[in-house]
Amino acid sequence: MRPIIRQITDKAFTFLTGTSVVLLTFVLLIVLGPMVWRGAKAVIFKDTVEFRKMQLDLYNRGNPASLKIQNTEAESFRKIVYETIDTFKHGIDTEELIDRTKQIYRQFGKELRYKGITGEEYQKIRSLARELRDKLQAAFESNDKKIIKENVDYVLQYRLYKDLADTAAAEFFTLAEDFLKSIENIDLNKRQQYAGSLEQVEEIVFRLLGPKPSEPLPALTMDRYGATRWDLAQKLLDKLLWSEQWIQKEAGQPLVKIRVSRAEEFAGTKLEPLFSYVQNNLDKMLLPGPRFYWQYFIDDSTPGHYFGGVGPEILGTLLLTLLAMLFVFPLGVISAAYLVECASDNIAVRIIRMCINTLAGVPSIVFGLFGLAFFVLFFIPLFGGPSKPCILASSLTLAVLTLPVMIRASEEAIRSVPQSYKEASLGLGASRFRTFVKVTLPVALPGILTGVILSLSRVAGETAPILFTGAVALGPLPKSLFDPTRTLSYGSYDIAVGDRLAMMVPHNQYGMVVTLVFLILCLNTIAIVLRARVFRKLRGN
Amino acid sequence: MITDSTIQGQQLRPAADKNQSLVLTPLQDMKGFLLHHIGRMLLFLITCSSVVLVLLIFFFVIRQALPFFTKFSLIEFLTTKSWYPEAATPKFGALSLIVGSLYVTISALVFAVPTGILAAIFLSDIVSLKIRDFVKPVIEILAAIPSVAYGFFAVLVLAPWMQNKWGFTTGTNALNASIILSIMALPTIISVAEDSISAVGRELREASYGLGATRFETIFKVVMPAAHSGIIAAIVLGMMRAIGETMVVWMASGNANQIPSPWWDLSQSVRTMTATIAGDMGETPKDSPHYWSLFAIGVVLLAMTFLLNIISEYFLASAKKKTGKS
Repeated sequence: MRPIIRQITDKAFTFLTGTSVVLLTFVLLIVLGPMVWRGAKAVIFKDTVEFRKMQLDLYNRGNPASLKIQNTEAESFRKIVYETIDTFKHGIDTEELIDRTKQIYRQFGKELRYKGITGEEYQKIRSLARELRDKLQAAFESNDKKIIKENVDYVLQYRLYKDLADTAAAEFFTLAEDFLKSIENIDLNKRQQYAGSLEQVEEIVFRLLGPKPSEPLPALTMDRYGATRWDLAQKLLDKLLWSEQWIQKEAGQPLVKIRVSRAEEFAGTKLEPLFSYVQNNLDKMLLPGPRFYWQYFIDDSTPGHYFGGVGPEILGTLLLTLLAMLFVFPLGVISAAYLVECASDNIAVRIIRMCINTLAGVPSIVFGLFGLAFFVLFFIPLFGGPSKPCILASSLTLAVLTLPVMIRASEEAIRSVPQSYKEASLGLGASRFRTFVKVTLPVALPGILTGVILSLSRVAGETAPILFTGAVALGPLPKSLFDPTRTLSYGSYDIAVGDRLAMMVPHNQYGMVVTLVFLILCLNTIAIVLRARVFRKLRGN
Repeated sequence: MITDSTIQGQQLRPAADKNQSLVLTPLQDMKGFLLHHIGRMLLFLITCSSVVLVLLIFFFVIRQALPFFTKFSLIEFLTTKSWYPEAATPKFGALSLIVGSLYVTISALVFAVPTGILAAIFLSDIVSLKIRDFVKPVIEILAAIPSVAYGFFAVLVLAPWMQNKWGFTTGTNALNASIILSIMALPTIISVAEDSISAVGRELREASYGLGATRFETIFKVVMPAAHSGIIAAIVLGMMRAIGETMVVWMASGNANQIPSPWWDLSQSVRTMTATIAGDMGETPKDSPHYWSLFAIGVVLLAMTFLLNIISEYFLASAKKKTGKS
């Protein structure tokens, strides 16, 4: 081969290896970057007055007096929104208007009955009221302004009729006048379309500002508050200002999504000013402010993680991992000690080593099956415990899972203790047991601790083994070791795919998984730093 | 004769003052001998717990699967494709699940093996220690990120992106699962391969350079052949990691019980053995054929990883023998 080609191949190869490492770093950034960015929003964000209300109601946090002031201030700006919608609705909502006329008619009938008039007179007035009612209904239902005018005028000519004045029926006239006024600027043919769009607007306003102050409190916690976060409010505002429509631009082509301004849609109506009003005064209605919501890590959450934090999940994860460590630590250290200090290379030790490797290779889901078949259905009931998924079964399963990690790490730590230390101790007449406890173990302890932390981080992230042995997505805090618990790992799974409601709160989705990743990376960093120190120390620096 | 109490009493005195015979009495000798052996025995028994646990795992998983194997044919289980566990006449053909597992595993290895080996070469042969110290934590962090977080990334970041930007019909498909699995297998492959490549001595490399070979030639014609057992072991260990992975494939592979056709079409959804166990176990009544069948899948999975484990052990041992180091 020619030297130049060899040179080029060599350079290209070097470049390729470098690229693979760059790719790795890139992958790490891609995986962690967006997740951490979005997850951080669960803790650091701009809150609104609705958020403060929620915090006060659910967690009794914040100052009620200042909140009340803020609330009144916000209410004063919100009132106009509700009023605008209400007046517009009068002209649009035919059914509501018709219902109202029927109500008036019925009430008037009742009034008449107790007036003490003759039957003949009663019949006369009553039939007049019925006529007025029917005319009004015809006006409400019609799309033709001429017919409406005719009917309404017919009704209004009885305005000064003495039998109707100062009774319930007088409301017919105000209704008729209001209606005339409200339809002045409305294209009546568009009524159907308006009604549909109005429903959307009302829904968005509900999500934005919460239930109206006059209405009863909704049953679901998530419906009780408007937009608790400013970014959510911005999104809702965008939805309020623009409606999305699918239209066909050319025949045979797939539908195209376009954005239509709602202000244009409602152009010329009473509702039109609403949109610019909300756009300009949103901050006054919601009073946004920066917030560092550290309580995210201790708060319980409402169903679907709609509000609140990951407190129970963190607690459950810590409980499971620490309990698992409690089981596995003695077992791992003793096994490692035996393998380093006592074992010769005979068949028994070889089998033990092979079993440790096998244990390390068993898929995590099989550990889950084993935990279910052994701990849940056999082992715990054997000692009189309940035969159901629980914390104890989960942590025992996790302990089995992490045993090989623990043994390998401790073995390495014990092996790295210099032979001269042990020999000095043995030379002074100490027994092998004493040498191990007094000399080897203290020197190896930081190394073992590194192993413990690494196993902890492994255990904290495992999901498959605890699926059937003690993890739940929702539930109360565990009261004993025989209750199931929520964990960060299973919670991350559930919040990503299991829960429809969680899709509406992406910050909480990402917040959960970032908490888990953060916890694990912290543990790993501690382990790496610790290992570096041990390494330096044993080298004699 | 010196009793224990007198030894206790003298403990604080300097050793030179000890009025004690250096020769032990027969009783003390016996005691020490017994203690030594009993202690050793005890330690041995505790260490055997790993063996016991492995046996327990095999025993209990197989025990729960046994009713399935007595009622349904094993051949049918392994060779037919129809998996209808809840039908009136349930059918348990796990072939497409097994193929699904192998499918995502092998496609993950197609991405991971070249990248992993190149990165291992980069770390062992090309860069200085300083850059190595910078790259190592990257790999460690990649290894430390829990599988459920990778699954989360696959579902909420990668899947919508694939669907919107690449025009796939569904974002949760074999390609998605394979990409994430390859990321997860990479740290294992890199660290084992790097160990075995570094274990090939300087002498071989220097001899090659001395003969005028370039770095590319040295690595490909000298180092890699010498380290091939270790590299194979790395690939097998990476495969084990991928085939046993649950959360990622459950969340990202789409869980459609089918064998992709044409076979190279990675954009289709598949379902793996692990995902089937994880997904179905929650909805199965205890001691039903469906319940047993999931344990039967567990047995297949266990057998596969056990086999892979033995293969990797063999290659690691032969790598150790060849280079004389671990």
